[in-house]
Amino acid sequence: MFGKSKPMWGERKKLKSSYDVVLIGGGLHSLATAYYLAKEQGITDVAIIEKNYIGYGGAGRNTAIVRANQRTQYNVPLYKEALDLWPVLTKELDYNLMFNNCGNLNLMHSEAAMKAARMTIATAQFHGVESHLIDAKEAKELVPALNISEDITYPIHGAMFHPPGGVVRHDAVVWGLAKGAAKLGVHIHQQTEATGINTRNGKVTGVVTDKGTINCKQVLVSAGGYSASLIHGFLGIKLPISVLTIQAMVTQPLKPLLNHVVSSGAYHCYANQTLKGEIATGAHMDQWPNYTTLNTAHYIKHQAEALSEFLPALRGLRFMRIWGGLADMTPDMAPIMDGNEQIEGFFMDCGWGYFGFKSCSAVGKYMAQFMATNECPDMLRPFNLKRYQEHKLMGETAALVNYTPDN
Amino acid sequence: MALTLTCPICGKRNGYEFRYGGEEKGPRPEEEGMTPESWCEYVHLNECKAGVQEEWWFHRDGCGSWFKTFRDTTTNLEQPTPAREE
Ligand SMILES: Cc1cc2nc3c(=O)[nH]c(=O)nc-3n(C[C@H](O)[C@H](O)[C@H](O)COP(=O)(O)OP(=O)(O)OC[C@H]3O[C@@H](n4cnc5c(N)ncnc54)[C@H](O)[C@@H]3O)c2cc1C
Ligand SMILES: [Zn+2]
Repeated sequence: MFGKSKPMWGERKKLKSSYDVVLIGGGLHSLATAYYLAKEQGITDVAIIEKNYIGYGGAGRNTAIVRANQRTQYNVPLYKEALDLWPVLTKELDYNLMFNNCGNLNLMHSEAAMKAARMTIATAQFHGVESHLIDAKEAKELVPALNISEDITYPIHGAMFHPPGGVVRHDAVVWGLAKGAAKLGVHIHQQTEATGINTRNGKVTGVVTDKGTINCKQVLVSAGGYSASLIHGFLGIKLPISVLTIQAMVTQPLKPLLNHVVSSGAYHCYANQTLKGEIATGAHMDQWPNYTTLNTAHYIKHQAEALSEFLPALRGLRFMRIWGGLADMTPDMAPIMDGNEQIEGFFMDCGWGYFGFKSCSAVGKYMAQFMATNECPDMLRPFNLKRYQEHKLMGETAALVNYTPDN
Repeated sequence: MALTLTCPICGKRNGYEFRYGGEEKGPRPEEEGMTPESWCEYVHLNECKAGVQEEWWFHRDGCGSWFKTFRDTTTNLEQPTPAREE
């Protein structure tokens, strides 16, 4: 499939019949976990099992936005650490991840939204994250193309401005981490599908794949949108997750016009201009669970309408490419990171919805620590599965069980 | 891909007229002896099947009825009701 060229993360390795650790999924979270297992925990007998090719899932389909202005006290420190890691990883991996900290501007379209933003900003500032409220006029000074007039569907009241956020080249993160992990001895097995997890007496004993069974004592499922289905299929464990297709698109290239990431909850739309000049933009999720990763006319139209209202200079522009990926949504829009609790040696890192790119660096570090010590690091503790039974939902957003444009 | 659904009253319609109501999970747990676990299971936990599943839909922009249907989540296509074993 890749012709005769050699992958930059080294020679293809033979699949061994046993590894210390097997990671299911060749996405951002597995790659980061593998990298830190090898680099910081001294565990190098690690295999990554990827059904297609690394970066096939959300890793290669996301809109590359990174930020640390989440809502709750548990989330912000994790995302802050992840954000701080981009320049560190760029050096460490000796690979240009193209971190562009151009800043994020979250548009607010009502007084209620401004009030919610004030609380979010207070949390960010408490954790030492730069974030502040600006009015519509100041937003217009930052992004002159913004339409701050009253005669649009959702007039702009102000914005939450978060200067340290921005974008990182998502493919570079996949390739950089793969290169870094492989160099430290991790085996990356592409075109290898996990089809089961073997257990005995409540302990993991191995992973079944379409290329044979691998013995191991520890397994991590971080298969992005497929995690919930795999975990139920392999182990009978149900998760509070709904898997929805989320769509994205880029326009034809333009002269520089948008030098911040701009997003709007009311319009369900976010956009940034890539270094090539295209406007990369993401839409809301499909209204029903599905694994199609297909685009719909409904969202292409929605996106065109939204963008041409708050950024009228984009009117008449053409979309050049469209694509979709999966978002595994939890009821509190916060992930599930857990392990050793349900089955000894079984770990999961899922429910990332559309936030799993910006978090991967820090999560990899802590999941590696979790797996190496069998002790859940404090940073990850609030994200356990039990919180849904214990009425400890995160409040990352006041989300409902179904994610539709009307709630 | 475009979704169409067959409402038992209105017939086949555009999927955007409907609201998804969740996976079919059997009867709602009895209030008597209900635990946080059993309620959490009913409200939040899903199988997330990549394939054919039975699910609830609401004809929001139509007749307002709730109904169950089978759908393949990998294609968005409605499926015939499987024959039940006696
Ligand atoms: C359109 C879109 C826009 C997004 N925008 C952003 C954004 O701007 N910022 C942000 O932070 N996040 C964003 N996200 C979310 C982010 O991409 C995901 O949360 C993230 O990729 C999850 O990482 P992961 O490593 O857990 O899974 P993934 O990157 O999805 O990787 C999972 C891998 O598992 C493999 N797999 C599945 N089943 C098996 C099996 N049985 N055996 C072996 N391998 C298997 C898949 O092939 C896949 O490669 C976006 C997502 C989408 C779809
Ligand atoms: Zn009807």
